[in-house]
Amino acid sequence: MRFFKRTDIIIVSSILLISLAIWVFYGLFYADTPVMAEIYYESRLVERVDLGKNEDRVFTIPQNEHVVFRVFRDGSICFEESDCRDRICIRSGKLKTVGQSAACLPNKIILKIVRKDRYSKDDPDIIIG
Amino acid sequence: MKKIISLLLALSFSLTLSGCRQGKKRYEAQFLQLFDTVTTVVAYMDSKDGFTEFSSMIRDTLNTYHQLYDIYHDYDGVQNIKTINDNAGKRPVKVDNRIIELLKFSKRTYAETGGRCNIALGAVLKIWHDYREAGIDNPESAVLPEMDELKEAARHTDIDKIIIDEENSTVFLSDPKMSLDVGAVAKGYAVEQTARLAQEKGYDSALISVGGNVRAIGSKDGKGKPWNIGVQNPDDNSELLMTEISGRSVVTSGIYQRYYTVNGREYHHIIDPQTLMPSEYYKAVTIICPDSGMADYLSTAVFNMPYEEGLAYINSLSGVEAVWVMRDGEVRYSDNFKQYVKSD
Repeated sequence: MRFFKRTDIIIVSSILLISLAIWVFYGLFYADTPVMAEIYYESRLVERVDLGKNEDRVFTIPQNEHVVFRVFRDGSICFEESDCRDRICIRSGKLKTVGQSAACLPNKIILKIVRKDRYSKDDPDIIIG
Repeated sequence: MKKIISLLLALSFSLTLSGCRQGKKRYEAQFLQLFDTVTTVVAYMDSKDGFTEFSSMIRDTLNTYHQLYDIYHDYDGVQNIKTINDNAGKRPVKVDNRIIELLKFSKRTYAETGGRCNIALGAVLKIWHDYREAGIDNPESAVLPEMDELKEAARHTDIDKIIIDEENSTVFLSDPKMSLDVGAVAKGYAVEQTARLAQEKGYDSALISVGGNVRAIGSKDGKGKPWNIGVQNPDDNSELLMTEISGRSVVTSGIYQRYYTVNGREYHHIIDPQTLMPSEYYKAVTIICPDSGMADYLSTAVFNMPYEEGLAYINSLSGVEAVWVMRDGEVRYSDNFKQYVKSD
């Protein structure tokens, strides 16, 4: 009696190939999962912005039209204008990396960069500075 | 063949178990009402309810510290640091032990850092605060404080005139013109105490950040995988470095957001107690050490030290590392800082 049958090898090879394909798929897909910007007003999520659309545009949120955001073609986003007095939100500059955030405290708005889908455990948890 | 099938079954079973252990989901919450900045709480947990309970506990604990350490506002039934300031030269104020512990910590570290960060500098900081606020409101007429005015205020910044009576739980400022400003240490100290409380309650994996005062509780997965804390370049928000920490704190002091402009020049908010002017050594200083209160305090104290002095001081401390961004953009590290820099 042979230890391996031909069909055994096919089954084992198939399992290994499928495993490899899944591993490669997850590696590619999740490693480069696009990032989103999330905008919170009074701690409620009010807007999600896909930063991978290669677009340059300005927009506001319905909750406060005096605060203007701008998305850039390079996938970054910033507070463009605000009626707050300290302008710390605008000075926070462009954000594009997961874990970055900026806030306009007087207007109770937070802008932060998140993964579009699942977080990798190698993603930045928070970025300061 | 049976052996192979058994092996595959065992392998898939072990992977499933591993998946269960790692199946916790990432949750993140942010609060706006604490310490005039953004608070972020991150944790990997089994359920949203569990995370909500945890983040609410963190928020409520920090809010208590926020009220106690506030120098601008009164709260019903709370004798806080503003109460102490309001009664300078008048009477001792009975306060919560958490205020006394903060003041003792700040006095101790003041002595250790050669007075580079002084919580009794309130009289000087208030002048800068008022000029900065006026300059932000009316940029065309923004001016600097007169040095004579600053020097007069500096006569009322003696930290030894903070009289702490532990037996009666009172604090008295014996100079009527002095005031406390704990802005350089309160956030970090509050984060540290909150993290310790969370650990006492059994939480062993979470991240708390109050305005960039970051404290990691344990590791990311409870098994040693460190948290990834990025520090951005003060010039363009690009990544300066990515650190890996477990059970430690990362705090940055920088000059690039809170400032006002006079005659085309920016004047930031970190005031050197020796010159009474905005400190001019660096763009940013980042500290990593186990205690978030110490990290917060040191980030300001080292910011006010010349580089050689700061480097020697940091290297003399056990478990404390620092990175400096010099005015010309050069980045310098303490002797063992790079052990925390993520490599990939």
